[in-house]
Amino acid sequence: MNRRGFLKMATGGAVGAALLQTEACRVPLQQQKAAKDVVPRLEIPTTCDMCVNKCSMIAIVEKGVLKKLNPNPENPKSKGMLCARGNAGIQQLYDTARIKHPMIRTGERGEGKWKVVGWDEALDFAAQKLSAIKEKYGPQGTLWSSSASFQEVFFRNLSQAFGSPNSVRHPTLCLASVNLAYSVTFGTVPSFDVQNARYIIMSGANRLESFITPDTMDLIDSTTERKARLIYLDPRFTKTAAKADEWYPIKPGTDLAFILAMLNVIISENRYNKEFVSTYCSGFEQLAEHVKQYTPDWAAEETQIPAKDIFRIAREFSDAAPRAIYYAGRRSSWSRDDFSMRRGQAILNAIVGNWDRQGGMVPNAKVELGELMFLPWDDPVAPRVDELDKNFPLAAKGDGVYLKLRENVLAGQPYPVKAWMIYKQDPMSAIPEQEKTLQMLRQMDFVGVIDIQMSDTAWYADVILPESTYLERLDPVEMLGGIRPVVLYRQPVVKPLHDTKPAFEIVQGLAKRLNLSQYFDYTMEQWIAEQVKPLPMDLPLDYMKKHGVYSPPQYPKYGSTLSPDHRFVTKSGKIELLSERLREAGYDPLPVYHQPSQVPEGKFRLVLGRHAFFTHASTSNNPWLNSFSPENALWIHPKPADSLGITDASLVEVASGVGSVRLKARVTPKIRTDCVFMQHGYGKRSPWLRLANSGGSDAQLIETAWDTVSGGAALHETFVKVRKV
Amino acid sequence: MKSFRKLGKNLGVLAVASLVFAGLLALVPLSTSRAGQKGNEAKGKFYFKQTCKSCHIKGEKGGEVTPLNKTQAQWQSYFAKGKHMKGTEPLTKYMTPEQLNDALTFLYNHAVDSPQPETCGK
Repeated sequence: MNRRGFLKMATGGAVGAALLQTEACRVPLQQQKAAKDVVPRLEIPTTCDMCVNKCSMIAIVEKGVLKKLNPNPENPKSKGMLCARGNAGIQQLYDTARIKHPMIRTGERGEGKWKVVGWDEALDFAAQKLSAIKEKYGPQGTLWSSSASFQEVFFRNLSQAFGSPNSVRHPTLCLASVNLAYSVTFGTVPSFDVQNARYIIMSGANRLESFITPDTMDLIDSTTERKARLIYLDPRFTKTAAKADEWYPIKPGTDLAFILAMLNVIISENRYNKEFVSTYCSGFEQLAEHVKQYTPDWAAEETQIPAKDIFRIAREFSDAAPRAIYYAGRRSSWSRDDFSMRRGQAILNAIVGNWDRQGGMVPNAKVELGELMFLPWDDPVAPRVDELDKNFPLAAKGDGVYLKLRENVLAGQPYPVKAWMIYKQDPMSAIPEQEKTLQMLRQMDFVGVIDIQMSDTAWYADVILPESTYLERLDPVEMLGGIRPVVLYRQPVVKPLHDTKPAFEIVQGLAKRLNLSQYFDYTMEQWIAEQVKPLPMDLPLDYMKKHGVYSPPQYPKYGSTLSPDHRFVTKSGKIELLSERLREAGYDPLPVYHQPSQVPEGKFRLVLGRHAFFTHASTSNNPWLNSFSPENALWIHPKPADSLGITDASLVEVASGVGSVRLKARVTPKIRTDCVFMQHGYGKRSPWLRLANSGGSDAQLIETAWDTVSGGAALHETFVKVRKV
Repeated sequence: MKSFRKLGKNLGVLAVASLVFAGLLALVPLSTSRAGQKGNEAKGKFYFKQTCKSCHIKGEKGGEVTPLNKTQAQWQSYFAKGKHMKGTEPLTKYMTPEQLNDALTFLYNHAVDSPQPETCGK
């Protein structure tokens, strides 16, 4: 299928869904046995899992075969859209490269020798290994890694019931710095009302290229139909830059200087929202004094953005408020000061009074769900191996800090960790400095992986427990807060094709063997029944089965927190421009600019990005998706390329302090001369993956560095040498 | 589920438990500077939901109570003073001191001024 055909199919999905939207033929799988002979074509509402956005969709199933995935227009969040990636979910189900059976390693780690086993043997093996390590090292000798999934809760519960303090989630490879900065400032992480904004500034949030979701369509809608102004800062001329009103190839690592200078202008020219600041904010006087030093002339030197433009943008931004937003973005940390940069954004948004206003930042509305209650386990005795309380006292306790955790595990400090259970995550691809991750895998006595494909991490596992895909399983109900909150239902659209199980059943199988069954003594149906109880309809479960999504009709609502007696979930109860909590923890209570490391002579700063074809490692093996971009390339400006004798498509070697990769060059003026760029997700090690040895792996190049407050992996702190091969 | 059912029996009349919740607290002095950090938060959430939330929900006679109703200091003070229903009935009929400590830990850790950074995908 070519690109045009694929996009046509994806676009046609909305039309197709509208044409096929007859509720009478929507039949949940539970009823299919009786109906299959009578209704050869079923429409089953369910929820996408091809990215984090979780759009609602309708599966078209004929005689037990999934034929098509269409958007479900009942979800106001996904707005009748299912992107190309969502459409390609059908290939996740029918991919011939899926793991089809449980497997136990028979050769050396990474040798690729496996034996297919039954579930009892696989679970017995895993449970025996975990028990042995618990006996020798205590429960803290086990590490449990996972990423967001509707079934992640069961995996995490097993780790806690087992007694391990060491569960680590993906946020420090994701939005940890953003989440913490907004939580410290507002007590919550709001949504950005991109659709109704009139002025939008984005620092490297490449929404028109890296991640196509309904939010992206809102951005297109606001910038084209409603003529909102988009100011875009990025060292690379991306597709978002192409659609922006203004693009500034900012010097990497200096975004905070730009933000602080905007604050300087807005405050010194009395352009902030005085009534809002005096009613809802604390620490304004200290902020005003603090930003006096950060003039546009100073920032121009740092950022290489002209001072006159910083003045103008600051004035335009405050004039457009409250329908003006400095968009938080969606990606990991860039620098060791990333948290401060995000704090600066949050403060800038606050003082123009865009909080809880149409076109501004809106606190997420929620829908209450019920919960199946059971008496939980005892707390773990040992502290976390990443020593979170000591190193990152404000970080989210349940998430952990991946890079610090790896450093400590490799050092055996403060105690040995010898087993690693991994669910829906590929640390080999996701974590910087792959060689260290490989060392960590190799020093484990046991590695167990729950996945749908033979990821680079699974390739080094001892046992692989294959999970059923999101199209084959019943999941817990999920609530997504937002400007328009939704409750989502995911039900199986076909029976499992292979000898796989949902994570919940895998966890139950392990729990039984680990004598922890008392914490998992319920069915998925019982779990869901408790969840949907508070929903405001007579038969909530029937409603969810039939519609796949529920969204309260009263949203969007603006201004519900705009009352002088509203208490924000912060220490002072106000929006904290100056954070006492940061001060108490030993950090700067206001964002302080630190100049980034300068690019050494003869080197380039490596900058990274995603594209809309893939959601990190989890979809990169999808044949429909990776056919559009089968390998990555190194973007390099013609000027340095000429001096290095590099021409377009020539093979180059890129070397950092921790590794080197080879990939083709893309010589283009769309990038600064002091940077090179590559896309994430290539150069796989696992021979079972289609992108094995295809392009270069950024994980092999990026050096270990983290944001000092959130612990988020700092992905733009690596300098590389480039040479023609 | 078995443990849940067993506990349910032990808890007895959950509907009235919240009325006397703080009554017990008044009788069970807690080391408030430490108690909010040393109990089992997960168990505390369970006890709070099973006991207090039987009455303290929107539309019920107790009125809605969540951890966000008070600051950390207010929860500590509330537990220490035990002024719920004027402390007329001891909660020891329904909760052990350890369970109360767990409940306080949950409420303290999720109070309206508590540090609780949000996370991804949850």
